[in-house]
Amino acid sequence: MRLLPSRWLILACAALGASCRAPDAAVSGGILVVSVGADAETLFPPLAVGTQSRAVTELLYDKLAEIAPSLNTTGDVGFAPKLARSWSWSADSLTITFRLDPRARWHDGRPVIAADVQYAFRVWTDSTVGAVQRQALAGVDSISAPDSLTARVHFRERTPEQFYALVYTLMPLPRHRLAGIADSALQNSSELRAPVGSGPFRFVSWTPRARLELASNPAYYLGRPGLDGVVFVVAAQGATVAARLLAGEADFLEQLSPPDFAQLPSDGRVRAVSYGGFDYAFVQFNLQEGGPLARPHAIFSDAALRRALTMATNRQALVRNIFDTLARPAIGPFSRTQWTADSMLSGIRHDPSGATRLLDSLGWRDDDRNGLRERAGKPLRFSLLVPASSRTRQAAAVLLQAQWREVGVLVDIEQADFNAFLDRAQRGAFDALIGGVRTSPSPRGVRELWGSPGPGRGRQNWGKWSNAVFDAQVDSALAASNITAVRAHFRAAYQAAIDDAPAIWLYEPRLFAGVHRRVKVAPLRPDAWWSGISTWSIDPAQRLPRDRRVPRAP
Amino acid sequence: MAASTWHRLRHDGAARGAAFVLGAVAAAALLAPWLSPFDPTAQPDPVALRLLSPSWAHLFGTDPFSRDVLSRVLHGARVSLGVAAGAMLLSVTLGAALGALAAVVGGWVDAAIGGLVDVLIAMPRLLVVIALVATFGTLSPWWLVALIGGSGWLTTARIVRAEFRDHLQREYVLAARALGATRWRIVWRHLLPAVAPQVAVAAALAFAAVIPLEAALSFVGLGIQPPLPSWGNILLDGTDYLTTAWWLVLAPVAAVSGTVGAALVLADRLRAAIADEEREA
Amino acid sequence: MFGRLLSRLTHAAAVCAVVAVAVFALLQSAPGDPFALALEGADVPAAVRAEWRARYGLDQPPAAQFVRWAGALARGDFGYSTSRRQPVAAVVSEAFPRTLVLVGTALVLGFAAGVWIALVQTRHHRRWPDRAFSMVTLAGVALPEFLLALLAMTWLGARWGLFPVAGVGSLGDAAAWPLWLRAVDFLWHLALPASVLSLAVASRVARHQRAALLSVMREDYVRTARAKGLGEWQVIRRHALPNAIGPVIALLGLALPSLVGGAVLIERVFGWPGMGLTLFEALLARDYPLVLAAVLLATVFAVVARTLTEFIADVVAPRRPQAT
Repeated sequence: MRLLPSRWLILACAALGASCRAPDAAVSGGILVVSVGADAETLFPPLAVGTQSRAVTELLYDKLAEIAPSLNTTGDVGFAPKLARSWSWSADSLTITFRLDPRARWHDGRPVIAADVQYAFRVWTDSTVGAVQRQALAGVDSISAPDSLTARVHFRERTPEQFYALVYTLMPLPRHRLAGIADSALQNSSELRAPVGSGPFRFVSWTPRARLELASNPAYYLGRPGLDGVVFVVAAQGATVAARLLAGEADFLEQLSPPDFAQLPSDGRVRAVSYGGFDYAFVQFNLQEGGPLARPHAIFSDAALRRALTMATNRQALVRNIFDTLARPAIGPFSRTQWTADSMLSGIRHDPSGATRLLDSLGWRDDDRNGLRERAGKPLRFSLLVPASSRTRQAAAVLLQAQWREVGVLVDIEQADFNAFLDRAQRGAFDALIGGVRTSPSPRGVRELWGSPGPGRGRQNWGKWSNAVFDAQVDSALAASNITAVRAHFRAAYQAAIDDAPAIWLYEPRLFAGVHRRVKVAPLRPDAWWSGISTWSIDPAQRLPRDRRVPRAP
Repeated sequence: MAASTWHRLRHDGAARGAAFVLGAVAAAALLAPWLSPFDPTAQPDPVALRLLSPSWAHLFGTDPFSRDVLSRVLHGARVSLGVAAGAMLLSVTLGAALGALAAVVGGWVDAAIGGLVDVLIAMPRLLVVIALVATFGTLSPWWLVALIGGSGWLTTARIVRAEFRDHLQREYVLAARALGATRWRIVWRHLLPAVAPQVAVAAALAFAAVIPLEAALSFVGLGIQPPLPSWGNILLDGTDYLTTAWWLVLAPVAAVSGTVGAALVLADRLRAAIADEEREA
Repeated sequence: MFGRLLSRLTHAAAVCAVVAVAVFALLQSAPGDPFALALEGADVPAAVRAEWRARYGLDQPPAAQFVRWAGALARGDFGYSTSRRQPVAAVVSEAFPRTLVLVGTALVLGFAAGVWIALVQTRHHRRWPDRAFSMVTLAGVALPEFLLALLAMTWLGARWGLFPVAGVGSLGDAAAWPLWLRAVDFLWHLALPASVLSLAVASRVARHQRAALLSVMREDYVRTARAKGLGEWQVIRRHALPNAIGPVIALLGLALPSLVGGAVLIERVFGWPGMGLTLFEALLARDYPLVLAAVLLATVFAVVARTLTEFIADVVAPRRPQAT
């Protein structure tokens, strides 16, 4: 039996005929309340890195074009026009001419012009601003503006992903408002505390760490959004984030965790919407010993041993225990939602007796029958580093510890708070760790994560794994220009990574969003659940009193 | 004097009850390997046997990894009580030493120690320990004992210092000094035994404070690490399932509250016994 | 009188300085980068990272950073929070009043309830009200606070919807509501966290106060008062309580530092954005300026509070001469 206290308050207000806001005459949309666990750090697009920052900035600012639902990143197949109504390629593919939609307006009424695109490009590539995704625009040489609605982008070289890299990253910025501010002062300027964008929603107010309110933009050039406003409410504690949704105070939760699932109200007030997933988690082995001499790791420099450990891991049981049906075992260094994914790749199967035989043949034996294998006096024992902030990774660590003990491997779990975890990972001060990656639509990220450490690659390859076949295949894939060739090369690269086992590919969580039943959503894109939000709507028959409280600037 | 206080305590019903509870818990902890029906870290079947409600086979059910909760709580007693006892001994010893030093030596030593107390008392203990744990990173039980014990000596120091200063004015001390006894001999022979009951009270209170502190540390993910069970991390595992698998928190909560409650009652009765003793002296 | 005040002030200043240096040194030796969280998973070149560090002055040696910070402090500038992207003063001026309200309410309610419970227990010493309350207060002290908070939030908040689950105010435009409604809404959000904290406080206070009262009740002057024919309640209120209140006021003085540190766990569970939660998150994010400012505030507050309570204790319950 559930009471509805928010209605109680509003009824009290109404009953007294107090000075509550009178409902607007032409009421449509309703308000979507999103419960999030972390606040946006900034509303300045070049510096928006965290998921929440990206969500808000992409609601406020439109891009030139939107990626296809299939998340294809090669060429411009499937991209939908946004600020750019159309575009054309030059014959040598080194120039793309974008024609801007003449209906597009900034929230203060001024039209969106090519100079805004030029300005944004300059800001994004300016080192004093320090945009995080600067590298993505490294292939662009310059942007010219033959007239106010045409932006001509000149590329340095042809690459298969040149269109995606440009369009996915760059958001035109209002030059008429920001040009007067020095680049180095942009980030903290008061202008950005009330940003003016071109997107379907306008900024209303922001109480840091608590609430961020957006109202719909009635003059949006692609049609008025179905919602009246979006409000993000922040809670620090995981249980509170979910509790808000389950208690009916919020309408949307980006990701339901397994315990939340169990608590979904039985009256169907909240439903779970599945939308693929972009993350994968893995046990990463450190192939080098810590310390200045960078010697090969005593245990993990041997690929056969890594394969033996993989054989000893029952990933199905692990996934079932932690996630029930909400995740799938990962296959390789990619997520299934990336367009280069291939679920037919052959992985190392769970085979405990095979693992035992392999370990024996490598010389790791348990001759003294104490349950722990040894070789030349050295025990098969290592530490597994996990961040304290991730309950799922901690659970995985506990399960792995038990699984490996059955084959005579002793593991010590070390928890560290997230900062310390990252620090140790980057310094290589670990034996093995459980890492997680949020991939992006483009498969090129695999070079940074798993490529051999060297110039232009492997900067996040903390385990220092190096495989010439993998590197060569990835390089070929990134240079190829037709889709089939790209796919084939990536497939070969992934297979090389799976065979050499620099990591045990653990799980890919399926993303399930928690949505209130009165909200109608468009298909959710795994990399950006908010991408279709301007087409969402709230069932008029199920409106709540809080749908009437349209965010208004104080 | 301590002897008659002890005598008083022995005939106090509440104190006997509390001592019994503490004794039982300690016995359970010591005998855990023999009392536990299962291995606390064994995961027989993480898929099929996960989160079973209490039954005859598993008196307190199983946890999310199919481990027997009763066995974990029994083994967890070893860790939690061990850490608590260790931290208590450390803080009481440290506190007594510093308090005695401050009272006996006086002067700038007293002022310095007083200043240190002022500084440490300004911060809530949980945050101090969190800051230290986050800094030093290693989370073995020994480190926890050191950090928690090292941050809890303030009350004992104050008590010891106050009592010492009080006793130092008394006639028997003045007489002893007149007879040529050195300061340290007086401390050792007379003052410390006189202060023993108060220190015992402080010890019981320190013990009662450490157990929830360890639980709180585990709650924020910085306490005892798996697979080593402790009451704190068993509680943490259970907080995800408060409404669905309530048995997970029942056992550790009962254990924690029971032990802390017993320690507090003991401290209370001891304090009452001391007060009664002083009244009649 | 003045001399003592002056010496107390210099003492306080010294304490603050020591705390500032100690915390600064501690944070410097902690592993981890203040920007780790913000830059996680992104393709960040080393040059960009270096730029960020330089911007916040983190590339200079620790001693230079501390001097810079202390100098700014003298000018009234508390610095810039790296994790919050806001001036530290803004963060603290938002968070501090919230903790003040939460813990202040809990302390007031808890002390009042605790003293009342102790009085009742003394009046009916050794009879069933005494025993019943003893068990309740023992439970209140022995149960971990955060568990109580979680239970309250899960059952009263999420499951039965009686109270809000988190935050300081309802959704929507607070500006549109009349003041009295906003006040009611705020109180409704305050109810659960404050109640849980009050329970913990009341239990502790009740136990202390009961012990103090009972020991005072055996004094001669109490027996005299009874002999004079005063009713039991009057004896307790007029004669025992004033003399027994001293230790409890001292307890109040010791509890006041928690007004700034905040009930960290309670704030975390209920999403109450006060100093405790802020300090905790800042610690984990290695946000040096914010941690230092918060710690300094806590220290100043604690020292001021203790001076005040010692003064009050002296006035209300002057020391009785020691029996020789």
